[in-house]
Amino acid sequence: MDVALFADGGAAGLARYWLALLPAALGFVGVYCLLPQAKGGRPMLGTLLGGAALALTGWLLLRHDGILPERILFYAFSALAIVGGGMVLAQRNPVHAALSFALVVLSTCGLFLLLAAPFLMAATIIVYAGAIVVTFLFVIMLAQQAGLASADQRSREPFLASLAGYILIGALLCVLEKTFDARTIDAALERIDAVARAESVDDARRQFGEIRKLFDDPQKPGSDRTLPVDEMKRLIPQTDQDLLEAEFLLNARDLPKLKAMFRKLHQQGLQARLSIGVLTADEKQPATPFSQGPLDAAGRHALPAQNVAGLGRTLFADYLLPIELAGILLLVASIGAIAIAARRPEGLR
Amino acid sequence: MFEDPRILWFIPGLPLLASVVTAFLGPRLLRDKSHWPCVLAVIASCALAIGVFASVSSGFQGLHTSYTWFQTGDVDIGVSLRVDGLTAVMLVTVTFIGSWIAIYSIGYMHGDPGYPRYFAEISLFVFAMTGLVLADNFVLLYAFWEGVGLCSYLLVGYYFAKPSAAAAARKAFLVTRLGDVGLLIGILLIYTALGPSLDYESVMPRGQHASPGVLCAVCLLLFTGAVGKSAQFPLHVWLPDAMEGPSPVSALIHAATMVTAGVYLVARCTPLFGFSPSAQLVVACIGGFTAFLAALIALTQTDLKRVLAYSTISQLGYMFLALGSGTSHEYLAGIAVAAAIFHLFTHAFFKALLFLAAGSVMHAMGGVIDMRRIGGLRKVMPTTHWTFLCGAGALSGFPIIFSGFWSKDEILAVAFKAGQPGSFANSIYILLFLLGLVTAGLTAFYTFRAYFLTFWGPERVPPEAGHHAHESPPVMLVPLMVLAAGAVFAGILLGPTGIFEHFLEVHWMQAAFPRLLPATEHHGNLPLMVASSLFALGGIGLAWWLYVRRPALAREMAQALPGAYELSKNKFYLDEIFAALVVRPLAGLAHFLRVFDQYIVDSFVDLTAHAPRWLGHLLRPVQNGLVQFYALLMVLGLAGFLLSVLMR
Amino acid sequence: MSPLTLHDYLAVGAILFGLGMVGFLARRNLIIMFLSAEMMLQGVALNLTAFARYRGNLQGQAFVLFLLTVAACEAAIALALILMLFRRNRSLDVSLWQELREDDQPPNLDEEPLPPAPEPEPLPQLTPAGHEPVHAEPSHEEASHV
Repeated sequence: MDVALFADGGAAGLARYWLALLPAALGFVGVYCLLPQAKGGRPMLGTLLGGAALALTGWLLLRHDGILPERILFYAFSALAIVGGGMVLAQRNPVHAALSFALVVLSTCGLFLLLAAPFLMAATIIVYAGAIVVTFLFVIMLAQQAGLASADQRSREPFLASLAGYILIGALLCVLEKTFDARTIDAALERIDAVARAESVDDARRQFGEIRKLFDDPQKPGSDRTLPVDEMKRLIPQTDQDLLEAEFLLNARDLPKLKAMFRKLHQQGLQARLSIGVLTADEKQPATPFSQGPLDAAGRHALPAQNVAGLGRTLFADYLLPIELAGILLLVASIGAIAIAARRPEGLR
Repeated sequence: MFEDPRILWFIPGLPLLASVVTAFLGPRLLRDKSHWPCVLAVIASCALAIGVFASVSSGFQGLHTSYTWFQTGDVDIGVSLRVDGLTAVMLVTVTFIGSWIAIYSIGYMHGDPGYPRYFAEISLFVFAMTGLVLADNFVLLYAFWEGVGLCSYLLVGYYFAKPSAAAAARKAFLVTRLGDVGLLIGILLIYTALGPSLDYESVMPRGQHASPGVLCAVCLLLFTGAVGKSAQFPLHVWLPDAMEGPSPVSALIHAATMVTAGVYLVARCTPLFGFSPSAQLVVACIGGFTAFLAALIALTQTDLKRVLAYSTISQLGYMFLALGSGTSHEYLAGIAVAAAIFHLFTHAFFKALLFLAAGSVMHAMGGVIDMRRIGGLRKVMPTTHWTFLCGAGALSGFPIIFSGFWSKDEILAVAFKAGQPGSFANSIYILLFLLGLVTAGLTAFYTFRAYFLTFWGPERVPPEAGHHAHESPPVMLVPLMVLAAGAVFAGILLGPTGIFEHFLEVHWMQAAFPRLLPATEHHGNLPLMVASSLFALGGIGLAWWLYVRRPALAREMAQALPGAYELSKNKFYLDEIFAALVVRPLAGLAHFLRVFDQYIVDSFVDLTAHAPRWLGHLLRPVQNGLVQFYALLMVLGLAGFLLSVLMR
Repeated sequence: MSPLTLHDYLAVGAILFGLGMVGFLARRNLIIMFLSAEMMLQGVALNLTAFARYRGNLQGQAFVLFLLTVAACEAAIALALILMLFRRNRSLDVSLWQELREDDQPPNLDEEPLPPAPEPEPLPQLTPAGHEPVHAEPSHEEASHV
């Protein structure tokens, strides 16, 4: 990827994504307040701020998008995961922290299920929630029988740590926003939709003029339209031709045909919008036989129900050697763990 | 058998091997048998040298390159040895004298704690000197030249625990280094002006076509090296102090190895000097003046070895006078060089003899060599006495029978010929000739003064000798006798018959510089011989008169001429003048630079050293041992990097 | 009314990753630090699964399985190390391990006093079996906790 992500200008470029940065900033302050501190920790304020950050994010996301069952599940699992993550940071009692981590794992598993990865879901629950977290709990109970340790009441550099986390998350979110920026095409689609819904020929003519402006004068200084027309043309290849035809229809004052045409254009635009930032497999060299299924509405290949079988085949056909190596790694790790943790007589090193 | 040039490698190689063997095995294994490798190796290389000499006299000219030392651009410096008439003569002289000195050392150094070290260094010395005369290019010559200097440093400072010996060694090394710098520059100039090669065969013929100024500069720079090594004025000051080494070392330095290197260098470069009359004039002037000055100083010295040392300087002055008189206009070069080398040859015999005899005296007198404290030794040490007499006779140029007469006479003849009317700077050469003649008288006087003071008069034995003042053991006496025979007969056999000259001319000069050779045969100059004989006999007679017949008279004369006496006794205050003119300003400069270095340069160095230290001090708290803090710094660094990318 | 995009999943993964990192940097309990590290791994796993879904192949899921393997190994070793460290110091506080600091640096000690610890809750007392309970008047305080 080009290093100059925001070639359209420094801090001003960043400011375009303030909507992504704002909840992150709220979260930064919230996490800082939530971290255990000997003095000055404000868990209530932190919880409030974190909740506000989540709510703001939810509003920002739901603002454009309607309610779909998939979305509801996604937001629910995501919110649970993030809240759980915050609780891992905030809990003074390590047992509670471990349980919050289990919550994170479980909600991540819900997201795995949404991503059509049932085997991963099961494996993660068994390995993480079932094995790792329980072992951690054992160790905690072994080590901390005398109640709350002083180490759990304090944090190391809470402000700097939260700031570093904020910068990282902010940068990642900005990159995501940049990569999946659909605002220009959204604006164009809005106007196309307006033409398609026009009541009269004059109304349509006025709306059409807006579209012409959008295309003729795409780089006017001060305008917030910075995505170039080229991208529009790349996404909807026949736009130029359509615009010429629309001009002709306008002059002929044939409103129904015009509206029908723009409805079609709108549908095409919606399809094109989905392809923004979407990764597509190389059709010539499919990595697995499952990359050639039919696409769904989101432009995703429909993974067949037996994708567990597919995963098995991938692992034991494409990744046979790595699987064996992973097995050896596990063996070595278990030997190492035993060797390290075994009690030795004092003085024997 | 000796026609194979590879044989040449054994001549320096055997002493080197002996040196290495003695150095490594001597202190543990050989101990008081440490002389064997050295003596055997030097005798073997002497035998080889004589063999090579024989084959050279039957027309063999050897050159052997073992490998290329280095190659830069179009210069190709090989480690190559060559032999011709000059080298053969030098080789025989060096190894023959060296052999007898090594044998003599067995007795002289007996029981010394540094016995193995002594013989290792002697072998190394012979190696360096034979390598020097065998070298086929200037770079190799320079390497061996420095090797000779190093060995002289080691041997003069043999008793390094004695401060005066250490100082003398340092002085010898540093003063000769001064000359060596000139030699090095001269070699570089040869490369640029006469190059681009440095082997004799390609450099020498270019001398006559070079511009006179450049050629003169080259010659003078080469001569600077010779001045340092051969102890000519003004760099002669190291040689008298070099007496601090053991007496056989003095014999080696004065007769065979060290000081003859300069004469050899100038003789070897005759094809260059021969075409630069002004450089030759300088050589002759320095030589003549040094001969006279050293003779004057030698008149009043009371230390027997010191008298001999100044006589060496004086005789070397003679050799340079000869070398400087071979002007091209008169086609004298051949005669002049032959005279100088002949004198070098005979001088090697009688000077080695004199030093070894002086060493024998010193050995018997328990280390005392001051002529005021010893005397009348001719009864105590009869063999030493008559061998010393042979050497003294040769040195003083006693007519007809002693070798010194023949070689010195040739030098005076050459100087006289160079001063004939019509030739270049003839009046100066005449002056130098007269100076040489007077010096011959002075030489005879001081030589026999030393002889009479040591061996005649009432018997005086210093208490250091103990009650057993005795003649030296046979291992020391046999070399004395052999060298005495050489000192007596070498002249009469080789001088008047012209064998020596002929040999050099046929086997070296005709190949090396045919254009400088005389068209006509050279004949002895009878009136000149008579004159120099008269001077020599006069000097001897005066010495006899003053020190045997009327011993009080010498003291009276010294008191009558206090200024002149003090001047000569204190070596014309040359050491003091050097100290005031050179050493003290340099010491002051060194002191100033030391202060400058200590307070100004060092403070900059300290500053650069302290700056990172301070910086490190600022950063030290970062290293607080907390894992999380390290991780935090890593993440903050990553965040900074991310921000810089995003904000671009 | 648009369906979920890759963007949404990646955002959740990024947030989990960031939160885990903050926890790793800030919390001082060794176990919580490792829980936070595991949380970062969860974020990565979510990303990989989402890529798998939107790319239409199973490589991402295979990667997540490897990731699980490595995470399990890491947990095993980490727990063993934590036990070792605990045996040395009788504490899980990572700040007690400061031996690698510069020689002349003072140790980093906590200066702020902690708020007074709350009184430990008294455990309920049961009468041994087979005895008739003493019908003494139980205090109200104890009774409220039973």
